[in-house]
Amino acid sequence: MHEIIQLLVSFTGSLGFAVLFNIHGKKLWFAALGGCLSWAVYLVTGIWTASPYICGFWSTVVITLYAECMARIHKTPVTVFLVSATIPLIPGAALYRTMNWMMMQEWDKFRADGTYTILFAASMAAGMTLTTILFRMIWGWKYRQRWM
Amino acid sequence: MRCEEAEQYLYYAMTIGEQLLISGAEVGRVEDTIRRICLAYGAERVDVFSITSSIVTTMYGEFGICTQTRRVRGMANDLGKLDDLNQLSRYICAHRPEPSEIRTRLSAIEQRPVYSFQMQIFIYAVISGSFSVFFGGDLRDMIASALIGIVLKLLESFLKRSSLNSLITVFLCCGMGGILANFAVRIGLGHRADLISIGNIMLLIPGIAFTNSLRDLFSGDTITGLIRCMESVLLAFVVGLGFTAANLLF
Repeated sequence: MHEIIQLLVSFTGSLGFAVLFNIHGKKLWFAALGGCLSWAVYLVTGIWTASPYICGFWSTVVITLYAECMARIHKTPVTVFLVSATIPLIPGAALYRTMNWMMMQEWDKFRADGTYTILFAASMAAGMTLTTILFRMIWGWKYRQRWM
Repeated sequence: MRCEEAEQYLYYAMTIGEQLLISGAEVGRVEDTIRRICLAYGAERVDVFSITSSIVTTMYGEFGICTQTRRVRGMANDLGKLDDLNQLSRYICAHRPEPSEIRTRLSAIEQRPVYSFQMQIFIYAVISGSFSVFFGGDLRDMIASALIGIVLKLLESFLKRSSLNSLITVFLCCGMGGILANFAVRIGLGHRADLISIGNIMLLIPGIAFTNSLRDLFSGDTITGLIRCMESVLLAFVVGLGFTAANLLF
């Protein structure tokens, strides 16, 4: 039950950010759907592995593919869909907690949350970068084949 | 093409690049767009270098050598504008319009519709409420968080008008958010102040900037990545400071 509510609010949360980013029309809904998808993949991969970093990695791999496909369908830059779709995964809360522990001078918790924030953001960045590179390599290869 | 004409086309290419950078485009996209536009107008070689706050372009061709630089200030995520600018640059590369046409199209993009202020207030409430529930809050926490989100939007737009330092604006918003969250728990509107605050924090914390800065670092834009990473860590520090200061009051 909790998961279903989380999926629902990850949709509305991403929708909200997509509006703040000034996305209009049909793209708005697809951007918000990406947010829902990212959290769904995160929850599903959580069944197999206990590591949040691996969940984050696979989740960004899936939404980068989603964003690349959507960008080609709607003829827009990939960023439009990618940024809104990553919203539920963004380690904003962890980043805040890290700073909070620093203020409280709780250095053990600061180290734990700080490591988590950096590693999670790094695994997301790795997922996005790798998928983008691979997708464009394959796409470029197919594109050339067709025109030769 | 004479040198003056080339300067004029380069000027518009730089303007598009500058607007892209302000709207939140990746540095690679900015460099690529400027290069493509200059090549479309007959340059033989184009060298573009861009970081978050500056763009330098030199183009070489039969008209001679032109160099222009821009100092870019401010940064906002306006992905709708980014989309329009991208369409414009595709159009320019395909049709090579006159400078006057580029100017009218650019000003049309400037005047594109944005969401109204009421809508933005509503959206702040939606985002705050959503993330309050997302991290485990219940219905009453959600309502409290949404109401505080509305106050924060009003406060933010008021502070922005008085042109304060942006860090101080964020600090004051966070302090206000923290105080109101604790106050809401006191009067019995919500249950846990931290779960109410987390919805508001998601609006203010630079989580997207932090993740994107690592992405810049991974894809080879080292300087841009470092600049954005430092900016977002500093901003996160201020957000933490604001909420912690408010919590210490209670």
